[in-house]
Amino acid sequence: MDPLIVTQAINVLYAVSTLAVLALGLAVIFGLLGVLNIAHGEFVMIGAYCAYVTQSNGWPYLAAVPFTLAVCGLLGLAVEWAMIQPLYRRPFDTLVATWGLSLLLRKIAEAIFGLGFYSVNIPLPGTVQFFGTEYPVYRLVLIAISVAVVASLVLWYGGSRTGSRIRAMVSNPELAQAQGISVRWLAAGTFIVGTCLAGLGGVMVAPLVPVQPFMGLDYVLRAFFVLIVGGLGSVSGLLSGAVVIGGFDSVISAATNAANGYFAVLVLSILFLWLRPRGIIARG
Amino acid sequence: MTAASLVFEAVTGGYGSTTIVRELTGAANPGEVLCVLGRNGVGKSTLMKLLFGYLPCMGGRVMLNGRPIQGLEPSARRRSGMTYCPQERPVFDDLSVRDNLTLMRASRQMAPFRPYFDRFPVLARRLSQHAGTLSGGEKKILSFVRGIAEDQPIVLLDEPSEGVQWENILHMEAGIKEKKAAGTAFVVVEQNLAFAERIADRYLVMDQGRAMLEGTPAAIDRSRILRHLHV
Amino acid sequence: MRAASLVVLIAVVLPFVLGQFWAYQLGLYALYAAAAVGVGLCWGRAGFLPLGQSLFFGLSAYLSGLAFIAFQGHPVVAVLALPFAALVSALLAYAIGVVVFRRTGESGAYFSMITLALCLLAFQIATSWNSVTGGFNGLKGIPGLPGLDDISDVYYVGAAILLAVLAFAGWVYAAPIGVLWQALAQNERRLQLFGFDTNQIKSLAFGASGLMAGLGGAVYAPQQGIVTPQAVGFGLSADLVIWAAVGGRGNLIGPVVGTMVVGSLTAQLRDTLPFWEVLMAVFFIVIVLMFPKGIAGFAEPLAWLLRSQRDRLVVAAPKSTAARPPARLVLDGVGVHVGEVTILDRLSLDFDAAGIFCVIGPNGAGKTSMFNVVSGELAAGSGTIALGGVNVVGLPPNRVSGLGVARKLQIPSVFPELTIADNLAIALWSGRATKLQLLAPRLRRWTSPMLQELQSRYPFLASGTRKAAELSHGEQQILELAMALLTEPRVLLLDEPCAGLSPEETGAVMEIVRWAAKRLGGAIIIIEHDMSLVKELAEVVYVLHNGTLLARGSVAEIQADPNVRAVYVGGEK
Repeated sequence: MDPLIVTQAINVLYAVSTLAVLALGLAVIFGLLGVLNIAHGEFVMIGAYCAYVTQSNGWPYLAAVPFTLAVCGLLGLAVEWAMIQPLYRRPFDTLVATWGLSLLLRKIAEAIFGLGFYSVNIPLPGTVQFFGTEYPVYRLVLIAISVAVVASLVLWYGGSRTGSRIRAMVSNPELAQAQGISVRWLAAGTFIVGTCLAGLGGVMVAPLVPVQPFMGLDYVLRAFFVLIVGGLGSVSGLLSGAVVIGGFDSVISAATNAANGYFAVLVLSILFLWLRPRGIIARG
Repeated sequence: MTAASLVFEAVTGGYGSTTIVRELTGAANPGEVLCVLGRNGVGKSTLMKLLFGYLPCMGGRVMLNGRPIQGLEPSARRRSGMTYCPQERPVFDDLSVRDNLTLMRASRQMAPFRPYFDRFPVLARRLSQHAGTLSGGEKKILSFVRGIAEDQPIVLLDEPSEGVQWENILHMEAGIKEKKAAGTAFVVVEQNLAFAERIADRYLVMDQGRAMLEGTPAAIDRSRILRHLHV
Repeated sequence: MRAASLVVLIAVVLPFVLGQFWAYQLGLYALYAAAAVGVGLCWGRAGFLPLGQSLFFGLSAYLSGLAFIAFQGHPVVAVLALPFAALVSALLAYAIGVVVFRRTGESGAYFSMITLALCLLAFQIATSWNSVTGGFNGLKGIPGLPGLDDISDVYYVGAAILLAVLAFAGWVYAAPIGVLWQALAQNERRLQLFGFDTNQIKSLAFGASGLMAGLGGAVYAPQQGIVTPQAVGFGLSADLVIWAAVGGRGNLIGPVVGTMVVGSLTAQLRDTLPFWEVLMAVFFIVIVLMFPKGIAGFAEPLAWLLRSQRDRLVVAAPKSTAARPPARLVLDGVGVHVGEVTILDRLSLDFDAAGIFCVIGPNGAGKTSMFNVVSGELAAGSGTIALGGVNVVGLPPNRVSGLGVARKLQIPSVFPELTIADNLAIALWSGRATKLQLLAPRLRRWTSPMLQELQSRYPFLASGTRKAAELSHGEQQILELAMALLTEPRVLLLDEPCAGLSPEETGAVMEIVRWAAKRLGGAIIIIEHDMSLVKELAEVVYVLHNGTLLARGSVAEIQADPNVRAVYVGGEK
């Protein structure tokens, strides 16, 4: 096989799988709770900074994971309690509040770390022979981790008792309450899962991108595009969205430049909004 | 299951600024069925929502074993011993019949439901099907079985017989009578007078949001009830 | 006018009071303030949040800069290019609004995210298109405005632009379009049911805000002499939102106050106070959640002192363009399915062109769905709905309303934060005001003979300055009913008009219904559960069950019908 094609193919696979993880947090909160968390990208940023702090303290890279989960989890709980809960029936106010939150988190990061870019070293450096081409080990590992994360979350959601309760709460909140499900706590837990997934995504991509306070904007927009194109409310929607957006971006950026890739993705999303507003996999 | 009684006094409530029901008083005592009758739109479901905490009381109070429970949200009332089967959207369409029955139970065993499956074999046949594929009457049966299998002292049923075939309505009657004998208190909203007559110990007939007639079946003339039910 | 004169006075005197340095700063911030007023228009009035407004500011700045460079020897030509630069932004904003609002309806989130995305895209283009924009370092060497060299001239140009923008905003806020924007933010569905194309109205708001930002940006280029990508950057977009919020977005002057106060403070304190930016962010969240009126809200009592006496003379409204001969409403085989659930099942109903008709039936029979499908809010999968012979299936709600269908919703649905007078005016504009007339403030004083009759029956309808939210539940029902009647519809759909009313209030509503039937000469179709009402009013009763027609006839006929009895009383098989 032509090594160039193999490299391209793996690049696309890498783009799609990491995008799926990064969009998953937004999808969980938007798709299940109906809340657009504009600060989603900032939770990714928090994950990236946690990775930086972990590394600069000399701890093993994997320690960044529990560190991030703790920070994003606690922060998610505080945000859900203070901002999301009181505004559940006011979607516009929620939008403004999460935008304000994203602003606040960016400014705090700026105040602590400054505006400059930080570099996180790749924990698994080097390349490996792969189907006739050399490919970075870390990226291959990320692909594997992304697939694992998405797959296990989907299986858990479909099969577990809590997953059933979340599905019950989302589709029929009145009956869920009647059966004793404390919707408040379940919704809070769901929100925290969303923020933790975002943080996890941040830890994953930190070694590959410049870590700076404004990095989150790109991620929340891309995740949002995935949801427009793929459709809310289903895993197949998320995956198809990730495939389309990730694939397009990867191919066009490689062929021309990153700005064109972004432009193409934006135009594509607006086209989908215009022609197929409920996404590829429209549900219910 | 320890028996309990539900009492509501001069309850008034509605949605937002709209008052739907006014000054309703009644009680469900252990081993009794209170049947709330009336045409649709008179506020029967609103009363149920007030009793279970979905709507705040604008006036009056609701008491469980003498304790006022106005502040309790629905999931808390469930935990305090009340069961509620809503009229609209009675089941989780996305979950299987089995999951609908066992959602809040410790295990997914079907053993506790065997006696009900004998009466309603349609449920046993469709255990792994999505509840959304059931007919309207079948959903009501599923909701009914889920409700009384919760084994709680107070059971609120909102139009349990809607869309259900007569033979299954008779099975429901048998189920309710069994629970009554064990001390359960029922509040049942109904529009089907024939069914109500078979299960009720007391009537509360509503019209225009108020109580029009109240008392035991013996004390109320059937034709008067009909006047409030029919157009 | 008093308020306006005061503002102009302050603007003229300011540089003498504050000195050269501040005058220069404020001259720049005046341009930003112009853009912030646009954000205030979209967010505070029309109820949607643009997160990328610097796109328009910067776009106009680049265009203006290029024009000034291109026409270096001919400064007058360059100055003529300024309004064009602003107009490009206005048109772009309008176009974006049309594309996005049409598809996302009432979801503000989609719109906000797309404006954000466009802003970031513009920044990328500005940074990478070196040949045109000068790339990261910006477009340099832009000549200044002809004849203006002094620093205070810089200020006066900025102030002039800001005052022009404020005058424009003041005009549109006072015009009917301004009231419609507010109504849109409060109850979009209700506005559509009055025949207004809400997508277009929102796009107009966005276009106006683009114009304001564009004016600021167009003057920015010659004033500063350089345009960098920061002018289209996310930072400026974010600042505009913050300044509008803190100053008071619903207020005309609010965003200006926010920009001047917060903007200048930030420029001064950012380096001295390390956590100033964090504080600002917290402050923003608190203001937005707890003090939506912002700084301007605290100054409200002051504004009351400056209010001039409004002219109370009323103006007669033209005859309703929807005044057409009565029409029969005929549903034929209408089917509506949502997923596996059948909502309407080959429903066929035939209403006479005139009279009072009642639709009854058990829960879930499809009564409200039938209204929804007639008014265009629910799509009919099959069948036809003819109004005076015209098939209305597939028409959006505002078009159906234009054909003479008015609707009163189940839960009283008016515009709570608008005055009673404005609520009624909106009903009068429906079907009568042309698009151009919506820019004329005098339309707010329209009246009609029908309105005057209603006001004499119900004096509270004449208390013009009270907000609709202050009315009691019963009064709101009557207000909404009055608004529906003012459109002089051919078919009036009333959904449980007496829900939650006391017996006296119910009597009042029944009286209006009878009066309206005689006065309008059209059809009034009422969904009701209250049988005493049905018996009093109905000439023909339609009984729906399971999404289809079960029985039709006089009250006595359906009372005797065994099918109807079975449905209402139940029975054994």
